[in-house]
Amino acid sequence: MTWLVWRQYRGQAAIASVLLAAAAAVILADGFQIASRWHSILVACAGNTACLQQQAPLVNGVVSDLPYISLLVPAVVGMLWGAPLVAHELEARTSDFAWSQSITRMRWLTVKVGWLLLAAAACGGAIAALTTWWSGPINAMSASAFAPGQFDTQGIVPIGYAVFAMALGITAGTVARRTLPAIAVVLGGFIGLRLVISDFLRQHYMAAVTTYYSVGGSFTAPGQSWVLAQGAVGPAGVVVATGWGDLYPALPASCQTLLPTAGTGKSGSLSAVFSCMRAHGWRGFATYQPSSRYWPFQGIETGIYVLLAAALIGVTFVIVRGRDA
Amino acid sequence: MSTAIETHELSKRYRRVSALTECTVTVPEGRVSALVGPNGAGKTTLLRILAGLASPTGGTAAVLGGAPRQDPAFLAEIGFLAQEIPLYRRFTAEDHIRIGAHMNPRWDASLVRTRLAELRIPLGQRVGTLSGGQRAQVALALTLAKRPRVLLLDEPVAALDPLARRKFLATLTAGVADAGGELTVVLSSHLVTDLERVCDHIILLAGSRVQLSGDIDTLLAEHKVLVGPRKDTAPIERTHKVVQEVATARQSTLLVRLGGPVIDPAYQAEDVTLEELVLAYMGADEASAGKRLTTVGESS
Amino acid sequence: MSAMSWVVWRQYRAQAAIAGALLAAFAVLMLVTGVQVASQWHAALIACSANHTCGNLADSLFLGSHAIGFLVIMTLGVPAVLGMLLGAPLLAYEFESGTSQYAWTQSVTRRLWLVAKSGWLLLAAAAVGGVVSGLVTWWSGPDNALQGDAFKPGRFDIMGIVPVGYAVFAVALGITAGALLRRTLPAIGITLAGFIVVRMVIYGWLRAHFAAPVTTYFSLAQGFTAAGSSWQLAAGYAGANGQPISLPQSVNGPVIGGSAAVPGLPVSSLPAQCQAAAGNGPLTPATYHAVLSCAQAHGIRGYLTYQPASRYWAFQGIETGIFVLLAAALLAVTFTVISRRDG
Repeated sequence: MTWLVWRQYRGQAAIASVLLAAAAAVILADGFQIASRWHSILVACAGNTACLQQQAPLVNGVVSDLPYISLLVPAVVGMLWGAPLVAHELEARTSDFAWSQSITRMRWLTVKVGWLLLAAAACGGAIAALTTWWSGPINAMSASAFAPGQFDTQGIVPIGYAVFAMALGITAGTVARRTLPAIAVVLGGFIGLRLVISDFLRQHYMAAVTTYYSVGGSFTAPGQSWVLAQGAVGPAGVVVATGWGDLYPALPASCQTLLPTAGTGKSGSLSAVFSCMRAHGWRGFATYQPSSRYWPFQGIETGIYVLLAAALIGVTFVIVRGRDA
Repeated sequence: MSTAIETHELSKRYRRVSALTECTVTVPEGRVSALVGPNGAGKTTLLRILAGLASPTGGTAAVLGGAPRQDPAFLAEIGFLAQEIPLYRRFTAEDHIRIGAHMNPRWDASLVRTRLAELRIPLGQRVGTLSGGQRAQVALALTLAKRPRVLLLDEPVAALDPLARRKFLATLTAGVADAGGELTVVLSSHLVTDLERVCDHIILLAGSRVQLSGDIDTLLAEHKVLVGPRKDTAPIERTHKVVQEVATARQSTLLVRLGGPVIDPAYQAEDVTLEELVLAYMGADEASAGKRLTTVGESS
Repeated sequence: MSAMSWVVWRQYRAQAAIAGALLAAFAVLMLVTGVQVASQWHAALIACSANHTCGNLADSLFLGSHAIGFLVIMTLGVPAVLGMLLGAPLLAYEFESGTSQYAWTQSVTRRLWLVAKSGWLLLAAAAVGGVVSGLVTWWSGPDNALQGDAFKPGRFDIMGIVPVGYAVFAVALGITAGALLRRTLPAIGITLAGFIVVRMVIYGWLRAHFAAPVTTYFSLAQGFTAAGSSWQLAAGYAGANGQPISLPQSVNGPVIGGSAAVPGLPVSSLPAQCQAAAGNGPLTPATYHAVLSCAQAHGIRGYLTYQPASRYWAFQGIETGIFVLLAAALLAVTFTVISRRDG
């Protein structure tokens, strides 16, 4: 049975390997260049944060978009390999041939699904490894590894995404019995779920930490933390997390008059405003997920996607076993 | 003699359509059974249920003593060839031989190679580029190589020209002979003349029901064609069952299933051919089973 | 032709219904959140003009929500999806399932059949691309005014008329891939890969050169910002001879000048005389002034190379035209292949 899977997929495995190698070559070349630039910045700045902030961005240009294309890899894997797994055999009726050999449907499905999920995990893992390595200097310079976008392309979550997308494709193909609708379902379902989880669920995996500090001072969450909101909070609990436009109306009148206004010749200083705010009980706050939670979050999110994949595969097995061929 | 296939009140219903209704048949081991009937009668459904590819909605089916099930030992005993000749189009015959070797405990690769060599079908050519007849031969050889005890073939010769059909049935007969009585075949088709040569048992489906089933020789002996003047058939029907009546203004031809000897001297009794028998029963699928009056040459 | 059109409609009506529903949902989402964003923008404008902090607005105001903003960025993928799901299966599916043998032995020539099918699908793709782009462009109005980045890659690609060109190109690419490969899944893969590559080549290298960029020199003391939503290509400093001063890979130490658009000029890159004026340690207002005057005396100026905002629509037109021409070329290939090859 494994031999059959190999024989069916060896051409595609070859193509996928070539593409992966090409992507790796490009990412490696770009990554070495970024790393050397980062190294020279480190040497020049010797730990001075102000110096670090002065530097031009590490990445620009078209090539630097490639690792973000890696966000597409799980969807492609699910569409081109997951969706046809069962659906194509049903469409071409080769399932009649396969299921009339002396092999049960369950075993047939187990071997095929097993190898393809493994391939998906390997694919996701390879892309994750390349992108994580490539992002090293960027993470160090902008402390952004935990931010949405960066979080999704590094670590182990790409493995979870790839396995889930493959499972989604397989199940959609089994339910629909046709490849094209299954491909559409993978596209919509994968993108939709990724958006919902990364934009709404992820920040709640653990209760975020809120730190208060003196208004007008600065607070940077240490390490690679994920800042969810930052701003000022008034004595009555009024929270202002965006810019001055929203803050101004919330201030007491005595503080408002202290704001410098350009063009009217009225001078003032921000520090006077801040003292006024402090006097009125305003504090600065930052709500964030500390960097120590980076790997737990990676684990939780990967776990969610792997569990969903397992549930989908369970549905597939139930359908294949019970349904007429 | 044991029973290879046995169904009891077997039914299969899809939402609003009944594909099989209360079908009861018995096929003893070693028979080559012809499964005949018009399109849509339920032949494919019956074969797929026996092969374990579909499940019944009512009644039972038993193959080699047990219900069709997901069990490698059971699956090794049956061979199924679907109507579309489902092979992997991009694989060669040799690839399919290797697949079969991997997926079956009993596998006679040399059988396939010998047969295809005799038929001059290349082993190294993609199956999708072979002609329909060649593909059917490859598929049959692969099914025989499993060395099954029950062989289920769904309209395997439907797309073949007369010469290819003849070759295919010859291969099948050779395969049955090789197996020495241990191979039971159910072969569906609507070309009765072919089947007469190859089969010794018949199952006739029409309108999702079994209209006729049994050994062909026995059935032919049990039926006669009575030719005589056109008159009331009530006396005849007291003893025999009239399957079909074809009447002109003066003469009527009755196909009857004998319930005893034919006494009425007005009728001349003739042997019935398989084709006549099949056609008569295929027309007899109305709810009021039994007699169907067909009038020839008369304007009503 | 109208009979053929009916056949096309019959074949695609389920997909049209689904696409219509998705489009309607997207439109509702855009309209509702767009109205919110617009009112948020107006309120912020009123507030900032009251206390004259409008200059900082771009840094401190975030319009809309992250989720919707991400969805808007994701409309980059709409043309690719159209190409994969509409274009690639058009011919490939008919070949694979053998229905091409049915379709091409009706009383319709292959060409007419292909014209009808591809014509309607291209029209549908253009319509979808146009509707999505229209919604996104309207929704982004406040954000474009705030950030001034409508001309930048990433924003340029999802607004205006280029999404229509992309959609038409992607579907044409899919149809051609299906005609040449005759199998749906490889056609889908090639369509996705090909679309990404062509888009990257054009936005990464070609677009900047649709028209010769404008380079403006400015005095170190003043700084320079291109008006409106321009597309900044390069910024730096040049000496008296007009040659750009190469900035080191990493910067440590004091810099002069510098703004949002142009990084500061490290003192270490200045002629020795000016470096001497800086003395040691950080710059004081006095030494800063001395270094600045010295640099100006040496003829050192800043420069900004950019595409001016006035060229936005011209570039939109050029890029759309390129993609439509590519689509036409691909379709010509398809027609030739279909007419010549076996069915």
